[in-house]
Amino acid sequence: MANRTGTAQRPNGQTQGKICQFKLVLLGESAVGKSSLVLRFVKGQFHEYQESTIGAAFLTQTICLDDTTVKFEIWDTAGQERYHSLAPMYYRGAQAAIVVYDITNQDTFGRAKTWVKELQRQASPTIVIALAGNKQDLANKRMVEYEEAQTYADENGLLFMETSAKTAMNVNDIFLAIAKKLPKNEQNTGQAGNAQGRRLTEGDTGPRAAGNCCK
Amino acid sequence: MTVDMPVSLLKNPELKFGAITFFAKQHKGDTCGSNGLPLTPNSIIIVGNAQLLKTIKSPFLCDFLDIIRGKHERTIVVSQYCGTPLAKIIDKHVLTHLQIKKIAYQALKGLSVLHKLDIVHRNLSNENILRQENGDIKLFNYGLYHMTNRGALVSFPVLEVLYTAPEVYLSGFDSGHVDKKVDIWSLGQRIRKILSLLQVNTSIFEKIAREHNCYEVYLNLPADLKELIELCLNIYPSKRLSCEELLDKLYFNEFRDIQEQKKMWEPFEVFSIQELYYWWQLAGGDVFQELKKQGLIRSSPPILSLPSLVLIEGTLLGQDRNPATLYDPRIVEMPLETLYQRFIHIPITAFYPLIHSKSDIISSSDPPPYDATGLPLVIKEKDPEYQFHRVILFRRLLHGYPFTKDLIRQEAEKDIPPLLRGDVWSALLNVPQGYERDYMRLDKYSHTTTDRQIEVDIPRCHQYNELLSSTQGHKKLKRILKAWVYKNSQYVYWQGLDSLTAPFLYLNFNDEAKAFACLSNFIPRYLHKFFLKDNTVVIEEYLAKFSQLISFHDPQLANHLHDINFDPKLFAIPWILTLFSHVFPLYKILHLWDKLLLCDASFPLHIGLSILTQLRDRLLTSGFNECILLFSDLPEVDIEKCVIASMQTYQSTPRSITSREHENEQFYKKNDLDIRGVTLEELKKESCPRISAADIINTVRKNPDKILLIDIRNTTLFHRSCVKGSVNIPFSSVSFNETVLDNLGTHSSLIKSKGDKVVAIIGDCETDLERFPNFLLQCNVSRVCVLHGDFNRFTSVIPTILTSGTTN
Ligand SMILES: Nc1nc2c(ncn2[C@@H]2O[C@H](COP(=O)(O)OP(=O)(O)OP(=O)(O)O)[C@@H](O)[C@H]2O)c(=O)[nH]1
Ligand SMILES: [Mg+2]
Repeated sequence: MANRTGTAQRPNGQTQGKICQFKLVLLGESAVGKSSLVLRFVKGQFHEYQESTIGAAFLTQTICLDDTTVKFEIWDTAGQERYHSLAPMYYRGAQAAIVVYDITNQDTFGRAKTWVKELQRQASPTIVIALAGNKQDLANKRMVEYEEAQTYADENGLLFMETSAKTAMNVNDIFLAIAKKLPKNEQNTGQAGNAQGRRLTEGDTGPRAAGNCCK
Repeated sequence: MTVDMPVSLLKNPELKFGAITFFAKQHKGDTCGSNGLPLTPNSIIIVGNAQLLKTIKSPFLCDFLDIIRGKHERTIVVSQYCGTPLAKIIDKHVLTHLQIKKIAYQALKGLSVLHKLDIVHRNLSNENILRQENGDIKLFNYGLYHMTNRGALVSFPVLEVLYTAPEVYLSGFDSGHVDKKVDIWSLGQRIRKILSLLQVNTSIFEKIAREHNCYEVYLNLPADLKELIELCLNIYPSKRLSCEELLDKLYFNEFRDIQEQKKMWEPFEVFSIQELYYWWQLAGGDVFQELKKQGLIRSSPPILSLPSLVLIEGTLLGQDRNPATLYDPRIVEMPLETLYQRFIHIPITAFYPLIHSKSDIISSSDPPPYDATGLPLVIKEKDPEYQFHRVILFRRLLHGYPFTKDLIRQEAEKDIPPLLRGDVWSALLNVPQGYERDYMRLDKYSHTTTDRQIEVDIPRCHQYNELLSSTQGHKKLKRILKAWVYKNSQYVYWQGLDSLTAPFLYLNFNDEAKAFACLSNFIPRYLHKFFLKDNTVVIEEYLAKFSQLISFHDPQLANHLHDINFDPKLFAIPWILTLFSHVFPLYKILHLWDKLLLCDASFPLHIGLSILTQLRDRLLTSGFNECILLFSDLPEVDIEKCVIASMQTYQSTPRSITSREHENEQFYKKNDLDIRGVTLEELKKESCPRISAADIINTVRKNPDKILLIDIRNTTLFHRSCVKGSVNIPFSSVSFNETVLDNLGTHSSLIKSKGDKVVAIIGDCETDLERFPNFLLQCNVSRVCVLHGDFNRFTSVIPTILTSGTTN
């Protein structure tokens, strides 16, 4: 009952391509557009008056990559600094993270760097991190140069794209790029600590880590 | 008592209303603001601005009633409209100089009310001055200039060409000329017009009089009237007198005394025109339809509005200008017959409900109260007659606040009339007199580090609502939040405080101070310590209590959620931190909080439980992902069901089951027999809640058949002394290997057939107080709880509830 990867096992045992599940977390200062990016990716929509996120929200989306089906389990977290203490619960056990900033606001870029550092220290060592400079549609109000962010991303081994949840630019692409970079063989999956069956309230695990790849 | 008496109360010639309509300027194409998001539609800004007009009360101004948005920026203004326009009167009658002076005086009185609020009429004409049957006048349509940001939000000029002051023409229409003195000019022009004088020489007035060949009339005018007009028609705004200065003139003395003395106290109105308008709507009145019927709103086929040419960047060319975007001065009066008919049988006594000292004789002569019990809430809220009775009653009760506090509460338990909800809520929240002063003193403007967060949250907070998305709404919300943060330095702004404030602002849009006072009293009562900078322990305790409450009422669901690791921490934080104001739309929050305000800080736990209960079947058959998705996107929760279910569990749950360490003791006093000193670590380990000795004693004394006491101490101790009616299942006698109730031996059948009794487990320091309750929980036994402390708690209780256990 507790085995969520069960759906991936085909009753007839045929192996028609792999199905992989990955846990992905979005981090970044409040109002940079994390929820908007997720909404665009999952439902293809954009709400101007997207509500702020309190705690976190969960959504899933599946994409196809060659012969592999990749299912993202997405945790969209609250951006306000005060909710910081909840964040580990979500990024622990995550195989991927998108750290988002708003290209029209320099402070949010600084905050993104802090998140990257924290992930590098605390999250799984194999976590794939992408940096998203969102609100690209407002490029005429840009405060963070593309090159600056690109250099930073290169130095830290991050994927980087400028995105716009509003125009949908690069939104699918960034998720796709992450999916490509994620290891899709079984040896590489359990690393984040497969926390299935352990209780969250013990405080040392996040929502159960996925990361199972089933042939 | 005759039947038409009451109708005549409604049929007051001044209790009539009408509507005008116009279009707000449309934003071009899809222009965006500097944040890349669409601009707030002008009609929404207008709606926000217009709210202030609802607060204006003056016998010389028509009451402003409502503002409605239609499609394509159509805006409809509903306002009191009664009497006859001066324009019509002066066509047929000649008014005496005394009458004219009185009109001038009353118009100045009306204008001075507006000017004090920085509202400029700009539209003063003889069409907009309505003479009542008793000869008094009321100014009409004074809000247009104010609500349209001085005309900037509409594509027509807000002015009366003939009567407009010269400086307005000098500075151009769009410059937003705000000097109130333009009204004075118009007033002067108007008086002149009434005198059918059309002229002036040394003075403007004389010139106008000469130009219109009326110099003789001018010369024969009494000196005071002449002076008045000349003062009004001074071409220099700086020299033109203000309302107050004009009102001080001696020649107004004769009107002053009678009018002013009345103002000693506010007379109690049985009902107001606002309420009449509200009932009229409930009885089927529809402003939009009336405007359509009378041809003010015409829909033309969309094809006619197609442009001839659309450029690739979106510019439209060759579109006919819609003449409707110009100002249409027509006023449509609203027919009241249907309402009169509907209320014809309401006896006069119903307008004066008895509240105190009901004697049997009097109440037996009372008409039977309008019976709506058992009807769903939404129906009751739409029933004009029921709302008539509720509004009349609550109005009186509110008038007597704070002395009627208990009665208000008692009536609110039935339901709260939506029209008066704001005031009823603040009564339920004990908002004190003088709240305005409190609010005035707080700093709402200095820059703080929280500003950015507040600024990015406000445009995301319940923006589907016209009031909250209007410019005024944003400003007000910001001020309230900043004032709260300023006042509560021990607390900080957490995202979510905006949602929490929204219902109060929505209900008290014109009384920011009251919205603030409500919020200020609400938080200590329901969210004590939640806004601490570090609120981790407070939230964790609350969540642990929530899990326990689920176990208590629905063990099967609790076990399932436990199995799939579905922890409330993952979905319930926004629920509790904002008391559901972040997850539900406003209309649902209002109904939910109607009940919340009658209950204590444990009620939100029951609301949470009832939501789970409503989704129970889906949760039980789903795994982790499906469950959490269900909450990321809260499906249609039936709020009325939710309210009923939460009330039920709230009332049937001993209070100590939800008792918390971080509860505000100001509202929940604890004594030695209550639960105290449970650490968070202990709490998190316990799947079943504790129950206080006090609650057990109470139940054993008052409702012994509502509780099953299981004493798990050893038999010797039990036989020495035990609680009356308790059964003994010594802890050591139970094998916990399998989760089968039969393992409990002879007493298992007692548990199986317990119905909805509370199962309280009593032990002592020798017994394990976790395994036994967990075992029962796993066997899906509901309402299991554990005595806080141990058996010895009961020994000193007088009168005793103990007995020697030999009979068991
Ligand atoms: N112009 C523009 N606006 C955007 C874009 N993405 C998001 N926004 C707007 O930015 C605001 C904030 O977006 P959210 O998605 O709520 O931001 P968030 O990062 O989830 O914020 P928190 O939940 O508070 O952490 C909203 O008003 C969005 O409409 C974008 O790509 N372009
Ligand atoms: Mg968000």
